[in-house]
Amino acid sequence: MRGQGFGFVAPLLVLMFVAFNAPIAYMLGLAFWEKGRGFTLQHYEGLLEAPVYLRVLGNTMRVALVATLANVVIGYPLALWMRGLSNRGRMIALSLVVLPFWVSILVRTYAWIVVLGNGGLVNRTLQWSGLTDAPVSFLYNELGVTIGMANVLLPFLVLPLFAAMIRIDDRLLQAAASLGAPPRTIFWKVFFPLTLPALAAGTLLVFILCLGFYVTPAILGGGRVPMISNLLDTLINQIPRWEQAAAISTILLIVTLLIFAAYRRLDRKAAA
Amino acid sequence: MIGDTPWTRRLLTAAGFFGLAFLTVPLLIVIPMSFSSARALTFPPPGLSLRWYEAFFGDSRWMEAMATSASVAAISSVAALVLGGLAVYGLRRGNFIGRGPAEGNFMAPLIVPTIITAIALYLGLAKAGLLGSFLGLLVAHTILNVPLVIMVLGVAIREFDHRIEQVAWSLGASWPYTMRKVVLPNLAPSVFAAWIFAFIGSFDEVIVTSFIAGKYETVPKKMFNELILEVNPTITAVATLLIAFTVLALAAVAFILGRAGKLKQTLV
Repeated sequence: MRGQGFGFVAPLLVLMFVAFNAPIAYMLGLAFWEKGRGFTLQHYEGLLEAPVYLRVLGNTMRVALVATLANVVIGYPLALWMRGLSNRGRMIALSLVVLPFWVSILVRTYAWIVVLGNGGLVNRTLQWSGLTDAPVSFLYNELGVTIGMANVLLPFLVLPLFAAMIRIDDRLLQAAASLGAPPRTIFWKVFFPLTLPALAAGTLLVFILCLGFYVTPAILGGGRVPMISNLLDTLINQIPRWEQAAAISTILLIVTLLIFAAYRRLDRKAAA
Repeated sequence: MIGDTPWTRRLLTAAGFFGLAFLTVPLLIVIPMSFSSARALTFPPPGLSLRWYEAFFGDSRWMEAMATSASVAAISSVAALVLGGLAVYGLRRGNFIGRGPAEGNFMAPLIVPTIITAIALYLGLAKAGLLGSFLGLLVAHTILNVPLVIMVLGVAIREFDHRIEQVAWSLGASWPYTMRKVVLPNLAPSVFAAWIFAFIGSFDEVIVTSFIAGKYETVPKKMFNELILEVNPTITAVATLLIAFTVLALAAVAFILGRAGKLKQTLV
Protein backbone atom coordinates (compact mmCIF):
# COMPACT_ATOMS: atom_id res chain seq x y z
CA MET A 1 0.00 0.00 0.00
CA ARG A 2 1.47 3.34 -1.02
CA GLY A 3 1.33 6.46 1.10
CA GLN A 4 1.79 4.76 4.46
CA GLY A 5 3.42 6.64 7.29
CA PHE A 6 2.70 10.16 6.12
CA GLY A 7 0.69 10.82 9.26
CA PHE A 8 3.86 10.55 11.35
CA VAL A 9 5.62 13.16 9.28
CA ALA A 10 2.74 15.60 8.86
CA PRO A 11 2.95 17.48 12.22
CA LEU A 12 6.62 18.31 11.81
CA LEU A 13 6.10 19.15 8.16
CA VAL A 14 3.42 21.69 9.09
CA LEU A 15 5.66 23.24 11.74
CA MET A 16 8.61 23.44 9.34
CA PHE A 17 6.50 25.09 6.65
CA VAL A 18 5.08 27.68 9.03
CA ALA A 19 8.15 28.37 11.15
CA PHE A 20 11.07 27.80 8.78
CA ASN A 21 10.16 27.62 5.10
CA ALA A 22 7.72 30.53 5.18
CA PRO A 23 10.17 32.90 6.95
CA ILE A 24 12.94 31.94 4.50
CA ALA A 25 10.58 32.54 1.57
CA TYR A 26 9.54 35.87 3.07
CA MET A 27 13.20 36.86 3.38
CA LEU A 28 13.84 35.93 -0.27
CA GLY A 29 10.80 37.98 -1.20
CA LEU A 30 12.11 41.04 0.62
CA ALA A 31 15.40 40.74 -1.23
CA PHE A 32 13.76 40.95 -4.65
CA TRP A 33 10.62 42.99 -4.03
CA GLU A 34 9.91 46.67 -3.77
CA LYS A 35 6.57 47.93 -2.50
CA GLY A 36 4.46 49.11 -5.39
CA ARG A 37 7.09 48.26 -8.00
CA GLY A 38 7.23 44.48 -7.89
CA PHE A 39 10.38 42.59 -8.82
CA THR A 40 13.58 44.58 -8.48
CA LEU A 41 17.33 44.11 -8.27
CA GLN A 42 17.96 47.49 -6.71
CA HIS A 43 18.93 46.03 -3.32
CA TYR A 44 21.78 44.26 -5.06
CA GLU A 45 22.86 47.38 -6.93
CA GLY A 46 23.17 49.07 -3.54
CA LEU A 47 25.57 46.34 -2.46
CA LEU A 48 27.96 46.93 -5.32
CA GLU A 49 28.11 50.66 -4.75
CA ALA A 50 29.22 50.65 -1.10
CA PRO A 51 32.90 49.69 -0.64
CA VAL A 52 32.19 48.51 2.92
CA TYR A 53 30.42 45.42 1.58
CA LEU A 54 33.39 44.43 -0.54
CA ARG A 55 35.72 44.90 2.40
CA VAL A 56 33.55 42.64 4.58
CA LEU A 57 33.41 40.06 1.80
CA GLY A 58 37.21 40.19 1.57
CA ASN A 59 37.56 39.73 5.34
CA THR A 60 35.18 36.80 5.30
CA MET A 61 36.89 35.04 2.42
CA ARG A 62 40.38 35.56 3.83
CA VAL A 63 39.53 34.39 7.34
CA ALA A 64 37.49 31.45 6.00
CA LEU A 65 40.30 30.29 3.70
CA VAL A 66 43.05 30.58 6.32
CA ALA A 67 40.93 28.93 9.05
CA THR A 68 40.02 26.07 6.67
CA LEU A 69 43.66 25.62 5.69
CA ALA A 70 44.72 25.59 9.36
CA ASN A 71 42.05 22.95 9.94
CA VAL A 72 43.55 20.71 7.26
CA VAL A 73 47.11 21.23 8.50
CA ILE A 74 46.17 20.41 12.10
CA GLY A 75 43.33 17.96 11.46
CA TYR A 76 44.86 15.57 8.94
CA PRO A 77 47.91 14.61 11.04
CA LEU A 78 45.65 14.37 14.11
CA ALA A 79 43.28 11.93 12.39
CA LEU A 80 46.22 9.98 10.98
CA TRP A 81 47.86 9.72 14.39
CA MET A 82 44.56 8.57 15.94
CA ARG A 83 44.26 5.83 13.32
CA GLY A 84 47.57 4.37 14.46
CA LEU A 85 46.57 4.20 18.13
CA SER A 86 45.37 1.13 20.03
CA ASN A 87 41.61 0.71 20.47
CA ARG A 88 41.77 2.21 23.91
CA GLY A 89 43.91 5.12 22.75
CA ARG A 90 41.50 5.76 19.90
CA MET A 91 38.53 5.94 22.27
CA ILE A 92 40.33 8.43 24.53
CA ALA A 93 41.48 10.60 21.63
CA LEU A 94 38.03 10.41 20.05
CA SER A 95 36.32 11.57 23.23
CA LEU A 96 38.78 14.45 23.49
CA VAL A 97 37.71 15.51 19.99
CA VAL A 98 33.99 14.93 20.51
CA LEU A 99 33.77 16.65 23.88
CA PRO A 100 34.82 20.16 22.72
CA PHE A 101 32.45 19.67 19.78
CA TRP A 102 29.53 19.66 22.25
CA VAL A 103 30.77 22.45 24.50
CA SER A 104 29.05 25.77 23.77
CA ILE A 105 30.74 27.82 21.03
CA LEU A 106 30.63 30.77 23.41
CA VAL A 107 32.66 28.90 26.00
CA ARG A 108 35.19 27.74 23.43
CA THR A 109 35.53 31.25 22.03
CA TYR A 110 35.81 32.76 25.48
CA ALA A 111 38.52 30.24 26.36
CA TRP A 112 40.72 31.87 23.72
CA ILE A 113 40.31 35.26 25.42
CA VAL A 114 41.63 33.60 28.57
CA VAL A 115 44.48 31.83 26.76
CA LEU A 116 45.53 34.52 24.27
CA GLY A 117 45.04 37.65 26.42
CA ASN A 118 47.95 39.82 27.52
CA GLY A 119 48.28 37.97 30.84
CA GLY A 120 47.21 34.61 29.40
CA LEU A 121 49.06 31.34 29.05
CA VAL A 122 50.47 31.97 25.58
CA ASN A 123 51.83 35.45 26.26
CA ARG A 124 53.20 34.40 29.64
CA THR A 125 55.04 31.52 27.99
CA LEU A 126 56.37 33.69 25.17
CA GLN A 127 57.68 36.31 27.60
CA TRP A 128 59.09 33.76 30.00
CA SER A 129 60.97 32.02 27.21
CA GLY A 130 62.36 35.41 26.15
CA LEU A 131 60.90 35.26 22.63
CA THR A 132 59.17 38.61 23.13
CA ASP A 133 59.44 41.42 25.65
CA ALA A 134 55.98 42.92 25.27
CA PRO A 135 52.81 40.85 25.06
CA VAL A 136 51.77 39.95 21.51
CA SER A 137 48.23 41.03 20.66
CA PHE A 138 46.33 38.02 19.50
CA LEU A 139 42.91 39.33 20.39
CA TYR A 140 40.63 41.77 18.61
CA ASN A 141 42.33 41.26 15.26
CA GLU A 142 42.16 38.86 12.35
CA LEU A 143 44.69 36.46 13.85
CA GLY A 144 42.54 35.87 16.94
CA VAL A 145 39.38 35.38 14.88
CA THR A 146 41.17 32.88 12.64
CA ILE A 147 42.60 30.89 15.55
CA GLY A 148 39.22 30.81 17.30
CA MET A 149 37.34 29.68 14.21
CA ALA A 150 39.90 27.03 13.33
CA ASN A 151 39.54 25.69 16.87
CA VAL A 152 35.75 25.65 16.91
CA LEU A 153 35.51 23.91 13.54
CA LEU A 154 38.32 21.35 13.88
CA PRO A 155 36.08 18.45 15.04
CA PHE A 156 33.95 18.86 11.88
CA LEU A 157 37.01 17.93 9.84
CA VAL A 158 38.66 15.41 12.14
CA LEU A 159 35.62 13.20 12.84
CA PRO A 160 34.69 12.33 9.22
CA LEU A 161 38.35 12.13 8.23
CA PHE A 162 39.10 9.68 11.04
CA ALA A 163 36.03 7.64 10.12
CA ALA A 164 37.29 7.41 6.52
CA MET A 165 40.82 6.51 7.61
CA ILE A 166 39.80 3.61 9.84
CA ARG A 167 37.82 2.15 6.94
CA ILE A 168 41.03 1.75 4.92
CA ASP A 169 42.12 -1.86 5.01
CA ASP A 170 45.63 -2.32 6.42
CA ARG A 171 46.20 -5.23 4.04
CA LEU A 172 46.11 -2.79 1.15
CA LEU A 173 49.08 -0.96 2.63
CA GLN A 174 50.84 -4.24 3.43
CA ALA A 175 50.34 -5.35 -0.16
CA ALA A 176 51.98 -2.16 -1.41
CA ALA A 177 54.85 -2.67 1.04
CA SER A 178 55.33 -6.30 -0.01
CA LEU A 179 55.62 -5.12 -3.61
CA GLY A 180 58.54 -3.00 -2.52
CA ALA A 181 56.99 0.45 -2.23
CA PRO A 182 58.79 2.69 0.28
CA PRO A 183 56.63 4.22 3.07
CA ARG A 184 56.52 7.59 1.36
CA THR A 185 55.18 6.09 -1.85
CA ILE A 186 52.62 4.00 0.06
CA PHE A 187 51.35 7.11 1.79
CA TRP A 188 51.11 9.34 -1.26
CA LYS A 189 50.06 6.73 -3.85
CA VAL A 190 47.77 4.48 -1.78
CA PHE A 191 46.70 5.95 1.55
CA PHE A 192 46.31 9.63 0.76
CA PRO A 193 44.22 9.16 -2.42
CA LEU A 194 41.82 6.94 -0.42
CA THR A 195 41.29 9.69 2.16
CA LEU A 196 40.97 12.45 -0.43
CA PRO A 197 37.16 12.38 -0.86
CA ALA A 198 36.65 12.62 2.92
CA LEU A 199 39.28 15.34 3.18
CA ALA A 200 37.67 17.34 0.39
CA ALA A 201 34.19 16.88 1.88
CA GLY A 202 35.37 17.91 5.34
CA THR A 203 37.20 20.92 3.94
CA LEU A 204 34.09 22.11 2.11
CA LEU A 205 31.98 21.63 5.23
CA VAL A 206 34.39 23.68 7.34
CA PHE A 207 34.51 26.37 4.67
CA ILE A 208 30.70 26.64 4.54
CA LEU A 209 30.54 26.94 8.32
CA CYS A 210 33.25 29.63 8.24
CA LEU A 211 31.27 31.74 5.76
CA GLY A 212 28.28 32.06 8.08
CA PHE A 213 30.21 32.29 11.35
CA TYR A 214 28.89 34.89 13.74
CA VAL A 215 29.79 34.36 17.39
CA THR A 216 33.58 33.96 17.18
CA PRO A 217 34.30 36.97 14.93
CA ALA A 218 31.97 39.11 17.04
CA ILE A 219 33.81 38.25 20.26
CA LEU A 220 37.43 37.70 19.21
CA GLY A 221 37.33 40.40 16.52
CA GLY A 222 36.06 43.03 18.93
CA GLY A 223 34.19 44.71 16.05
CA ARG A 224 37.43 45.22 14.12
CA VAL A 225 37.12 42.19 11.87
CA PRO A 226 33.53 42.34 10.60
CA MET A 227 32.50 39.26 8.64
CA ILE A 228 29.31 38.80 6.58
CA SER A 229 27.24 37.65 9.52
CA ASN A 230 28.30 40.59 11.71
CA LEU A 231 27.37 42.95 8.89
CA LEU A 232 23.97 41.25 8.75
CA ASP A 233 23.58 41.78 12.48
CA THR A 234 24.26 45.51 11.99
CA LEU A 235 21.76 45.75 9.14
CA ILE A 236 19.02 44.09 11.22
CA ASN A 237 19.61 45.26 14.76
CA GLN A 238 21.39 48.61 14.51
CA ILE A 239 20.61 50.45 11.30
CA PRO A 240 17.45 48.67 10.23
CA ARG A 241 17.84 48.05 6.50
CA TRP A 242 16.00 44.79 6.21
CA GLU A 243 15.95 44.63 2.40
CA GLN A 244 19.71 44.99 2.25
CA ALA A 245 20.12 42.31 4.91
CA ALA A 246 17.72 40.05 3.01
CA ALA A 247 19.67 40.60 -0.21
CA ILE A 248 23.01 39.66 1.40
CA SER A 249 21.43 36.68 3.17
CA THR A 250 20.10 35.42 -0.15
CA ILE A 251 23.56 35.48 -1.71
CA LEU A 252 25.07 33.74 1.31
CA LEU A 253 22.30 31.14 1.27
CA ILE A 254 22.78 30.35 -2.42
CA VAL A 255 26.57 30.11 -2.11
CA THR A 256 26.17 27.85 0.94
CA LEU A 257 23.70 25.55 -0.80
CA LEU A 258 25.92 25.27 -3.89
CA ILE A 259 28.97 24.33 -1.82
CA PHE A 260 26.79 21.98 0.22
CA ALA A 261 25.66 20.19 -2.95
CA ALA A 262 29.32 19.66 -3.86
CA TYR A 263 29.96 18.45 -0.30
CA ARG A 264 27.14 15.90 -0.54
CA ARG A 265 28.56 14.44 -3.76
CA LEU A 266 32.01 14.11 -2.20
CA ASP A 267 30.63 12.76 1.04
CA ARG A 268 28.75 9.99 -0.79
CA LYS A 269 31.95 9.15 -2.64
CA ALA A 270 33.85 9.08 0.65
CA ALA A 271 31.28 6.74 2.23
CA ALA A 272 31.21 4.39 -0.77
CA MET B 1 53.64 2.22 6.63
CA ILE B 2 53.01 5.67 7.98
CA GLY B 3 55.45 6.53 10.70
CA ASP B 4 57.63 3.57 9.88
CA THR B 5 60.84 5.42 10.51
CA PRO B 6 61.31 6.58 14.12
CA TRP B 7 61.64 10.13 12.87
CA THR B 8 58.27 10.32 11.08
CA ARG B 9 56.66 8.43 13.93
CA ARG B 10 57.83 11.04 16.42
CA LEU B 11 56.74 13.86 14.16
CA LEU B 12 53.28 12.36 13.78
CA THR B 13 52.91 11.82 17.52
CA ALA B 14 53.92 15.42 18.13
CA ALA B 15 51.38 16.61 15.55
CA GLY B 16 48.66 14.45 17.12
CA PHE B 17 49.35 15.74 20.60
CA PHE B 18 49.41 19.29 19.29
CA GLY B 19 45.99 18.79 17.66
CA LEU B 20 44.46 17.37 20.83
CA ALA B 21 46.06 20.12 22.92
CA PHE B 22 44.76 22.78 20.53
CA LEU B 23 41.24 21.42 21.07
CA THR B 24 41.31 20.82 24.80
CA VAL B 25 43.89 23.06 26.52
CA PRO B 26 41.88 26.29 26.19
CA LEU B 27 38.93 24.60 27.90
CA LEU B 28 41.16 23.14 30.60
CA ILE B 29 42.68 26.58 31.30
CA VAL B 30 39.23 28.11 31.85
CA ILE B 31 38.56 25.83 34.81
CA PRO B 32 41.41 26.94 37.16
CA MET B 33 40.94 30.55 36.02
CA SER B 34 37.35 30.48 37.28
CA PHE B 35 38.71 29.97 40.81
CA SER B 36 41.05 32.96 40.50
CA SER B 37 40.97 35.63 43.17
CA ALA B 38 42.01 38.34 40.70
CA ARG B 39 39.91 40.48 38.44
CA ALA B 40 42.44 40.38 35.58
CA LEU B 41 42.75 37.17 33.58
CA THR B 42 46.35 36.44 34.59
CA PHE B 43 47.69 32.92 34.23
CA PRO B 44 48.48 31.27 36.56
CA PRO B 45 45.88 32.75 38.92
CA PRO B 46 47.55 34.71 41.74
CA GLY B 47 45.25 33.18 44.37
CA LEU B 48 42.20 30.99 44.73
CA SER B 49 38.66 32.05 45.63
CA LEU B 50 35.04 31.35 44.88
CA ARG B 51 34.16 34.99 44.31
CA TRP B 52 33.15 34.59 40.64
CA TYR B 53 30.81 31.74 41.54
CA GLU B 54 29.35 33.90 44.30
CA ALA B 55 28.97 36.73 41.78
CA PHE B 56 27.14 34.37 39.42
CA PHE B 57 24.82 32.69 41.90
CA GLY B 58 24.22 35.96 43.77
CA ASP B 59 23.11 37.83 40.66
CA SER B 60 19.36 37.64 40.15
CA ARG B 61 19.72 38.46 36.42
CA TRP B 62 21.97 35.46 35.88
CA MET B 63 19.58 33.28 37.87
CA GLU B 64 16.64 34.51 35.81
CA ALA B 65 18.58 33.80 32.60
CA MET B 66 19.31 30.33 33.97
CA ALA B 67 15.61 29.70 34.60
CA THR B 68 14.66 30.92 31.11
CA SER B 69 17.36 28.77 29.47
CA ALA B 70 16.29 25.71 31.43
CA SER B 71 12.60 26.08 30.66
CA VAL B 72 13.14 26.83 26.96
CA ALA B 73 15.52 23.85 26.69
CA ALA B 74 13.18 21.54 28.61
CA ILE B 75 10.09 22.37 26.52
CA SER B 76 11.73 22.71 23.10
CA SER B 77 13.85 19.56 23.46
CA VAL B 78 10.78 17.48 24.26
CA ALA B 79 8.89 19.08 21.35
CA ALA B 80 11.82 18.37 19.01
CA LEU B 81 12.05 14.81 20.32
CA VAL B 82 8.34 14.05 19.88
CA LEU B 83 7.87 15.74 16.50
CA GLY B 84 11.27 14.68 15.15
CA GLY B 85 10.92 11.14 16.50
CA LEU B 86 7.50 10.63 14.94
CA ALA B 87 8.67 12.15 11.67
CA VAL B 88 11.81 10.04 11.36
CA TYR B 89 9.80 6.92 12.20
CA GLY B 90 7.45 7.79 9.35
CA LEU B 91 10.43 8.48 7.07
CA ARG B 92 12.14 5.15 7.81
CA ARG B 93 9.07 2.93 7.94
CA GLY B 94 6.69 4.68 5.55
CA ASN B 95 6.54 4.41 1.79
CA PHE B 96 4.89 7.69 0.81
CA ILE B 97 6.30 9.77 -2.02
CA GLY B 98 8.58 12.69 -1.10
CA ARG B 99 10.40 11.16 1.86
CA GLY B 100 13.75 12.42 0.55
CA PRO B 101 12.68 16.06 0.17
CA ALA B 102 10.85 15.94 3.52
CA GLU B 103 13.98 14.70 5.28
CA GLY B 104 16.04 17.35 3.48
CA ASN B 105 13.61 19.96 4.75
CA PHE B 106 13.90 18.71 8.34
CA MET B 107 17.70 18.75 8.15
CA ALA B 108 17.80 22.22 6.56
CA PRO B 109 18.25 24.19 9.82
CA LEU B 110 21.57 22.38 10.25
CA ILE B 111 22.80 23.28 6.78
CA VAL B 112 21.47 26.81 6.34
CA PRO B 113 23.88 29.15 8.17
CA THR B 114 22.36 29.90 11.55
CA ILE B 115 22.68 33.63 10.96
CA ILE B 116 20.32 33.29 7.98
CA THR B 117 17.82 31.27 9.99
CA ALA B 118 18.06 33.98 12.64
CA ILE B 119 17.35 36.76 10.13
CA ALA B 120 14.52 34.87 8.43
CA LEU B 121 12.91 34.14 11.79
CA TYR B 122 13.41 37.74 12.89
CA LEU B 123 11.68 39.04 9.77
CA GLY B 124 8.97 36.36 9.88
CA LEU B 125 8.22 36.76 13.57
CA ALA B 126 8.19 40.55 13.22
CA LYS B 127 5.65 40.20 10.43
CA ALA B 128 3.54 37.83 12.55
CA GLY B 129 3.82 40.09 15.61
CA LEU B 130 5.56 37.37 17.62
CA LEU B 131 9.02 38.93 17.84
CA GLY B 132 10.25 38.73 21.42
CA SER B 133 7.53 36.24 22.43
CA PHE B 134 8.16 33.10 24.44
CA LEU B 135 6.24 31.07 21.86
CA GLY B 136 8.51 32.32 19.07
CA LEU B 137 11.55 31.33 21.10
CA LEU B 138 10.18 27.84 21.77
CA VAL B 139 9.29 27.21 18.13
CA ALA B 140 12.69 28.45 16.91
CA HIS B 141 14.56 26.23 19.37
CA THR B 142 12.38 23.26 18.39
CA ILE B 143 13.09 23.46 14.67
CA LEU B 144 16.80 24.10 15.27
CA ASN B 145 17.14 20.87 17.24
CA VAL B 146 14.98 18.63 15.07
CA PRO B 147 17.99 17.70 12.85
CA LEU B 148 19.89 16.29 15.85
CA VAL B 149 16.91 14.11 16.75
CA ILE B 150 16.49 12.95 13.15
CA MET B 151 20.18 12.03 12.91
CA VAL B 152 20.37 10.04 16.14
CA LEU B 153 16.99 8.30 15.86
CA GLY B 154 17.31 7.81 12.09
CA VAL B 155 20.25 5.46 12.61
CA ALA B 156 18.58 3.70 15.55
CA ILE B 157 15.30 3.05 13.71
CA ARG B 158 17.09 1.79 10.60
CA GLU B 159 19.04 -0.70 12.73
CA PHE B 160 15.93 -1.89 14.57
CA ASP B 161 14.49 -4.97 12.85
CA HIS B 162 11.18 -4.04 11.22
CA ARG B 163 9.92 -7.61 11.55
CA ILE B 164 9.63 -7.25 15.32
CA GLU B 165 6.98 -4.55 14.82
CA GLN B 166 5.27 -6.67 12.17
CA VAL B 167 5.02 -9.51 14.65
CA ALA B 168 3.35 -7.19 17.14
CA TRP B 169 0.87 -6.00 14.52
CA SER B 170 0.14 -9.51 13.31
CA LEU B 171 -0.67 -10.44 16.90
CA GLY B 172 -3.27 -7.69 16.88
CA ALA B 173 -1.47 -4.83 18.60
CA SER B 174 -2.54 -1.34 17.53
CA TRP B 175 0.23 1.05 16.41
CA PRO B 176 0.17 3.20 19.57
CA TYR B 177 0.48 0.01 21.59
CA THR B 178 3.30 -1.27 19.38
CA MET B 179 5.02 2.09 19.72
CA ARG B 180 4.76 2.05 23.49
CA LYS B 181 5.50 -1.59 24.18
CA VAL B 182 7.83 -2.60 21.35
CA VAL B 183 9.49 0.31 19.56
CA LEU B 184 10.14 2.73 22.41
CA PRO B 185 11.61 0.25 24.91
CA ASN B 186 14.01 -0.99 22.24
CA LEU B 187 15.01 2.49 21.15
CA ALA B 188 15.11 3.94 24.67
CA PRO B 189 18.90 4.49 24.80
CA SER B 190 18.89 6.36 21.49
CA VAL B 191 15.79 8.34 22.45
CA PHE B 192 17.58 9.40 25.62
CA ALA B 193 20.69 10.39 23.63
CA ALA B 194 18.59 12.37 21.14
CA TRP B 195 16.83 14.18 23.97
CA ILE B 196 20.12 15.10 25.69
CA PHE B 197 21.58 16.37 22.41
CA ALA B 198 18.47 18.46 21.75
CA PHE B 199 18.59 19.79 25.31
CA ILE B 200 22.27 20.80 25.02
CA GLY B 201 21.57 22.27 21.58
CA SER B 202 18.83 24.47 22.95
CA PHE B 203 20.61 25.35 26.17
CA ASP B 204 23.67 26.55 24.21
CA GLU B 205 21.85 28.28 21.36
CA VAL B 206 22.97 31.88 21.06
CA ILE B 207 22.56 33.34 17.55
CA VAL B 208 18.85 32.90 16.87
CA THR B 209 18.06 33.66 20.51
CA SER B 210 19.99 36.93 20.36
CA PHE B 211 17.96 38.01 17.33
CA ILE B 212 14.44 37.00 18.33
CA ALA B 213 14.27 36.74 22.12
CA GLY B 214 13.51 40.41 22.78
CA LYS B 215 13.38 40.97 26.52
CA TYR B 216 14.01 37.30 27.36
CA GLU B 217 17.57 36.64 28.52
CA THR B 218 19.06 33.18 28.27
CA VAL B 219 22.45 32.24 29.71
CA PRO B 220 24.22 32.19 26.30
CA LYS B 221 22.55 35.43 25.19
CA LYS B 222 23.59 37.24 28.37
CA MET B 223 27.08 35.76 28.15
CA PHE B 224 27.41 36.87 24.52
CA ASN B 225 26.24 40.42 25.25
CA GLU B 226 28.62 40.75 28.18
CA LEU B 227 31.56 39.41 26.18
CA ILE B 228 30.99 41.99 23.46
CA LEU B 229 31.00 44.84 25.98
CA GLU B 230 33.82 43.82 28.30
CA VAL B 231 35.41 40.72 29.74
CA ASN B 232 34.01 40.04 33.19
CA PRO B 233 35.56 37.16 35.18
CA THR B 234 32.06 35.99 36.20
CA ILE B 235 31.91 34.61 32.64
CA THR B 236 34.78 32.28 33.54
CA ALA B 237 32.64 30.73 36.27
CA VAL B 238 29.67 30.44 33.87
CA ALA B 239 31.95 28.85 31.25
CA THR B 240 33.25 26.31 33.76
CA LEU B 241 29.70 25.41 34.81
CA LEU B 242 28.73 24.96 31.16
CA ILE B 243 31.76 22.72 30.55
CA ALA B 244 30.83 20.63 33.60
CA PHE B 245 27.22 20.43 32.37
CA THR B 246 28.35 19.23 28.92
CA VAL B 247 30.75 16.66 30.35
CA LEU B 248 28.07 15.25 32.65
CA ALA B 249 25.43 15.16 29.91
CA LEU B 250 27.78 13.42 27.46
CA ALA B 251 28.93 11.00 30.15
CA ALA B 252 25.29 10.09 30.75
CA VAL B 253 24.79 9.52 27.01
CA ALA B 254 27.99 7.47 26.74
CA PHE B 255 26.96 5.39 29.75
CA ILE B 256 23.45 4.64 28.48
CA LEU B 257 24.54 3.96 24.90
CA GLY B 258 27.57 1.98 26.06
CA ARG B 259 25.37 -0.26 28.17
CA ALA B 260 23.16 -0.87 25.15
CA GLY B 261 26.24 -1.48 22.96
CA LYS B 262 25.33 1.40 20.67
CA LEU B 263 28.07 3.86 21.48
CA LYS B 264 30.15 3.37 18.38
CA GLN B 265 27.44 3.83 15.78
CA THR B 266 26.37 7.14 17.34
CA LEU B 267 29.89 8.51 17.76
CA VAL B 268 31.29 8.14 14.29
